[in-house]
Amino acid sequence: MNKGFIFNHNKCVACGACNAACILENGWTVHPREIYTYNKDVSVSLPLINLSLACNHCEKPVCLECCPTGTYFREPQTGAIVIDDKKCIGCKYCQWNCPYDAPKFDAKKRIIGKCNLCYSGLLDGRLPACTDACPTGALSYGELPGIDTENKFPWFPDKDLNPSLEFSGEHNTVIIPLKIIPENMYVNQMPVKSEKPSTETREWSLVAFSFLATLSVSSVISSLINGVFPNFIFIVLINILTGLVSLFHLGRKLRAWRALSNLKSSPLSREIALFLIYGAVSILAVITELPAVLVVASIVGLLLLIVIDSVYINSDKRKSVIFHSGQTFLSSLLIASFFSGAVIPFIFIALIKVVSSIHKIYFTKGTGNNFGLRYFRLAILVVMGIRIISAGYSFDPVIIALFLAGELIDRIIFYSDFEPMNLNTFIYKHIKTVKDEKKRG
Amino acid sequence: MEEFVTACPRNCYSTCSFRVQVENNRIRRILPYSGNLATPEGPCIKGLAYLERTYSPDRIVNPLFKSADGSFRPVSSDNALDIITNKLETLRQKYGPHCVLWYKGSGMSGLTNEIGSEFWKAFGGVTTTYGNLCWPAGLEAVRLTLGSVKHNVPWDIENAKTIIIWGKNPAETNIQEIAFIAKARESGSNIITIDPLRTPTADKSDILFCPKPGTDAALALAVARVLIDDGLIDRSFIDKYVKGYDEFKKSLHILPADAEAITGIPADNITELAYIIGKGGPVTFLPGYGVQRHLNGGQTIRSILSLAIITGNIGKTGSGFNYANLQSYVFDDVKEPLSYYPDKQKDIPFRRTISMAKLGSDLLGTKDPQLKAAWIERGNPLLQSPDSVNVRKAFSNMEFRVVVEQFMTDTAAVADIILPAKDLFEQSDIVGSYWSPYVQFKPKVIQSPGEVLPETEIYYQLSKRLNLKLNSSLMPEPGNENIEIWLENRIKGYSDLCLNDLKNGPVLAPLLEHIAWENMKFDTPSGKIELYSSDAQSIWKVSPLPEYVQIDTDSNGKNFPLTFITPNTGSRIHSQFGNLKIIKETLPSPAVRISPADADLRGINSGQKIRIFNQHGEVFSIAEVSNRVPPGSVVLPNGIWFKEGGGGNTLISGMETDMGYGAAFHDNKVEIERVVRDE
Repeated sequence: MNKGFIFNHNKCVACGACNAACILENGWTVHPREIYTYNKDVSVSLPLINLSLACNHCEKPVCLECCPTGTYFREPQTGAIVIDDKKCIGCKYCQWNCPYDAPKFDAKKRIIGKCNLCYSGLLDGRLPACTDACPTGALSYGELPGIDTENKFPWFPDKDLNPSLEFSGEHNTVIIPLKIIPENMYVNQMPVKSEKPSTETREWSLVAFSFLATLSVSSVISSLINGVFPNFIFIVLINILTGLVSLFHLGRKLRAWRALSNLKSSPLSREIALFLIYGAVSILAVITELPAVLVVASIVGLLLLIVIDSVYINSDKRKSVIFHSGQTFLSSLLIASFFSGAVIPFIFIALIKVVSSIHKIYFTKGTGNNFGLRYFRLAILVVMGIRIISAGYSFDPVIIALFLAGELIDRIIFYSDFEPMNLNTFIYKHIKTVKDEKKRG
Repeated sequence: MEEFVTACPRNCYSTCSFRVQVENNRIRRILPYSGNLATPEGPCIKGLAYLERTYSPDRIVNPLFKSADGSFRPVSSDNALDIITNKLETLRQKYGPHCVLWYKGSGMSGLTNEIGSEFWKAFGGVTTTYGNLCWPAGLEAVRLTLGSVKHNVPWDIENAKTIIIWGKNPAETNIQEIAFIAKARESGSNIITIDPLRTPTADKSDILFCPKPGTDAALALAVARVLIDDGLIDRSFIDKYVKGYDEFKKSLHILPADAEAITGIPADNITELAYIIGKGGPVTFLPGYGVQRHLNGGQTIRSILSLAIITGNIGKTGSGFNYANLQSYVFDDVKEPLSYYPDKQKDIPFRRTISMAKLGSDLLGTKDPQLKAAWIERGNPLLQSPDSVNVRKAFSNMEFRVVVEQFMTDTAAVADIILPAKDLFEQSDIVGSYWSPYVQFKPKVIQSPGEVLPETEIYYQLSKRLNLKLNSSLMPEPGNENIEIWLENRIKGYSDLCLNDLKNGPVLAPLLEHIAWENMKFDTPSGKIELYSSDAQSIWKVSPLPEYVQIDTDSNGKNFPLTFITPNTGSRIHSQFGNLKIIKETLPSPAVRISPADADLRGINSGQKIRIFNQHGEVFSIAEVSNRVPPGSVVLPNGIWFKEGGGGNTLISGMETDMGYGAAFHDNKVEIERVVRDE
């Protein structure tokens, strides 16, 4: 079965009927279908294209794969990707991973809401409400005609998900801007604005969770290197705190246990599982004081951090994120070498972080995001490095506090640089690129 | 679940057919009806919003009586009708029946609306309005030139090689037309929009020409001049079918260079436009109603229409001048715009008329008798009439106001008694359309909630109470079956159509001309297309030829630099629908749009509260700085309620258009400033 949405941008005027019909039919408190506009700010030099988009019920549903709770399932008869309200914990990880912005967080129900293809209606012989409602025929549903949509909109994140969506609109309206006469009429223009991503990626509880996990693992590793056992109370407390703090970003905290339901394909499920194992093993290590257990705890800890990093890389595959100085694995190596007095590795890793930070400052030049924090963080590292080289290693509490603050800032910067795929961001970036190219001539 | 085919009866081009599913006396679903070729994909978001509108918790479903402290309290229908009866009786005895204003808006169309006039006739007469707020200047322009007001079936524009959308914004106000425009465009037709604003329709076009507001006639006549000078006209068509071509040709003194100074469109581009029209046939013109809401509106439409005439784009497939198509109004004795004329014999016996466009000053100025009471149905004049400051004043001066309404509108709020109004699903009726060629039956599919009575029954009950002698052919008895009998009799004799034909779904108007004027017979005095119209001169005291008349906007607001435009918008039919939750949730919230240049000058940013003001007063709204607005204009859509930051008519003078008794909404100047909160 190869059915899906067929969309003709030439006929869409963003009248909102699809969106309204979806809500009226399903009683949503979110907007599973939305109209995205390429060139929303009506820049003169660009064409303006409306795109009505909901879930594309992909052949390779990344939402279903990444969901830690098994909330998503494919309805067998219609092929609809549907969510089970009772299972969703509101972690929003699917939002990070869907490039089409299909899962919407329902702030009232504290779970995700998403287009269900009106599958029960489909089974009854009706069409999805949005397609029935479209008054111009821009949006329809049916046998996909097999149009090559790959290159239709250069700003559409097609990816390899094989979305059940094709673009049927003929005519070169995709590239030619409206000719306006008199030509100088709209010269004094509003600049193109970047839209706030609709997904919230800067959850404080995730910053805290990943940073505390890094600290915990670092302390285990540095203890191992120093040949001592970590402080019993410290490890127990930090592990419990880490676990608790992670709950705060969930829409439904009491369902948190469900997060272990999809170890097969969800990096998030694996992260939670590894954290639980690490927590148990590291506490066992401080209880039993068996060196072998401490070795296992260190290995599991490092694995945990790799998995934590992979959770983010899975959603944002840009090199600038992969090689970010705020990644937990790298930070834990630095913190561990700091506390174990391994000066050479410390300086080596610190240098990597300095280079990465400087690159980042150079790279993000012009966008002006968090420059103060970035310079501050860099300054801390440099001061630390000079201090350690000149005065040798010491447990000066001011230095420790400064150092840890620097690492925390690095993690915060990581979150602000982390930008999961999202259609609005895609559109904005494409418009920026086109405009910059035009400026250069 | 039962399913019915019905039609949306609002004041809108599309008059969509749709299927409605009903279960347990409740509307469950609204679905498209593909049998109507003009609206095969179904209604717009407003049509879908009936699911909410009918059951909205805000809907007024019981009569409301205004207490001494100004608050409303529910009363029974009997009680409300008794109060109204006593009050009407007293006023009639004291001042005579014409002290009552019967104001009808365009809120819901249908033949049953006529029944009210039987009541008022029997009451002894009433004061009512002449003219219309919307479109009569253009209707009169088309009638004078072509003899009647019609055009090709809407889907014929797919056959146009060039479509000139002149001051119309179908992307918001006639969405179904976009499907045909898009189809034409995809098959290679040239789509041109002419509009002072970059509308969403412009974004579906190849070229947008932005003349200064109110100068469209100058642009059109300069284009005509180029068409004639460069031999781009259809000479044989003109010779056969057109009266007054030579006089017209001689009168064309506006050269492209002159028009550039007037309109702001460069001369070269005016020539370009002429060649697009002259070489791009068949050409369909889609003129809008905004372009004629000017003091020179009728002459502007005649000027634009002249382009279709001299290029021979009338009476053929893919061509035409689609101003309005009244072919489905088969049961009307007098069609628009003639029905908007004031009565010839004033005062006697039935009605005395006052101007719709100048409602405020006419209400205040009318004597012998003065207006002491108002009955308002299907309308919201406190928001939608120009000069709304005086309209409000006049209504508050009155002794008694009855408003038949569904929601607490700005007008309902000043009523002494609000009678809850029916919704479209609650009484059978027959509706035509001014765009689509279908005659449609709209069945009763659910019972009204609460104590809602259709107007027909309100009038029936009142006539009983007032002992008015009206037989059931004039005043049907309560019950929908009696309404259907009335409808059956009402449509007899106009065509072969009977009610049962209509009950099977939308019917193409009998004698429909798919291609209007294909027979080249014109209902004008000369039987030809009248570029030169003696009637224009004798009735309206304008030039018999199309002419550009400069608008002296300074007289409507000296020292106010910005042109104030109040177009219609996709979220509303005039002042309807904008209050519904589903509309508010899914469409942008109302705002006043200003250009970046004007915003910069005044330090205004999007989202800030601003004050729009002129000699009439002030309105407060939220600013949206937008690249869609050219410098020098301020755009506040009409129909936005005062409490939402609307009420633009506060700033608009009550002025009639040059012909047709329309309202010149778009010739006012304003200034804007940021409101710096001090609280």
